[in-house]
Amino acid sequence: MIRVYVSSVIEAPADAVWAVIRDFNGLPQWTPFVADSRIEGNRPSDQIGCIRHFRLKDGGQIREQLLTLSDYDYQCSYAILDSPMGVSQYVATLKLTPVTDGDLTFAEWWAEFEPPPGREQALASQIGQGVFQAAFDALKRRFGGFSPAAAGVTAR
Amino acid sequence: MIRVTRSAIIDAPVDVVWSLIRDFNSHWAWHPAVGESRIENGEPADRVGCVRNFFLKDGNHIREQLLTLSDRDHLSTYCILEATVPMQRYVATVRLAPVTDGDRTFWHWQSTFATPPGAEKTFEEMVGVGVYEGGFAGARAWLAREGRRQWDPRRDGLKPAA
Repeated sequence: MIRVYVSSVIEAPADAVWAVIRDFNGLPQWTPFVADSRIEGNRPSDQIGCIRHFRLKDGGQIREQLLTLSDYDYQCSYAILDSPMGVSQYVATLKLTPVTDGDLTFAEWWAEFEPPPGREQALASQIGQGVFQAAFDALKRRFGGFSPAAAGVTAR
Repeated sequence: MIRVTRSAIIDAPVDVVWSLIRDFNSHWAWHPAVGESRIENGEPADRVGCVRNFFLKDGNHIREQLLTLSDRDHLSTYCILEATVPMQRYVATVRLAPVTDGDRTFWHWQSTFATPPGAEKTFEEMVGVGVYEGGFAGARAWLAREGRRQWDPRRDGLKPAA
C-alpha cells in the first residue's frame, strides 16, 4: 500500500468551500479534469453508498463509491470501484478544517492504495499532483478574492 | 464544559514548528504570556508524564502535565494539574499538519475545560485570544527572529541570566 497526501490553504471560510465540494456528483463543476458525472440508479449524491460514474476530459471513465460524508467534520471518503489506473483497494479522504486566524480553510486530501508493480512513483505523482493538487489549485482560483455572493453562500 | 479552538497557518515547515512544540518547556522562549518555566524533578521535556511548572507574566502560577507526545502525528496533549486561575479539567491538544502546497504548517490548538458559572466568555477569551492567538503571534515572531530554524533544546533550552 502506498499513501499520497496533499494539503493546501483556500482563501475562504470552510462553510463556503464545503458547499462546493460536498456534492459527490459535482466534480465537473469544480475540478479541471472531469467532463461529466452522474450518480448511478438516480440516487441522491449525499446518500452513503451511492456510486458516481464520471468521465475524465482525457476520456477515461471512473466509478467511485461514497463511504463517508460528514457535514460536521467537513469530510468525505470514497473508494474506487473501476478506473483505468490499475489501482486496487483505493480509498481516499477529503477533509476541510477551519483556520480561525483569517477565516480560511485548511484542505487535506489523501489516498491509500495498492499500485501495480513498478507504477508506484508515476501513480503517486499522477494522483497527488495531477488530481488532488490540481483540484485544490482550481479551488484557490475560484475563491481568489473571496466574496460570499460569488461562492453561492447566502445569509439565512 | 466549554471548548476553545484556534487554528492558524504558520509560514515555516512542519518540522521547524514541531521542534518548538515537542519541547514541553520551550514556551518561555516564544510565548509572550509565559514567564519563568521549568520541568519538575529535572526530567526530560519530551518525557510523557513530565510536569512543567511555570508562571504567567501576569503573576499566575500553573502546573501542567504532558499526556501525549507523537512525533508521527505532530501531536501534543497536556492537562492542568494545578493553577491559580479557576479552570477545572483543562485538557488541551496541539496538532500540526504540513501544508504540502507551499511547505507551511497548519497549527490546530483546542481545549475543553470547566469554568465558574457565568465566567465562560471571560475564559474563552483569555484562553483563545490570550493563550492560543498570542502563542501563534509569539511563535511567528520567534521563527522570524531566528530565521525559521529548528528549536534546539540543548542550546535554546538554557535560560538567559535573569
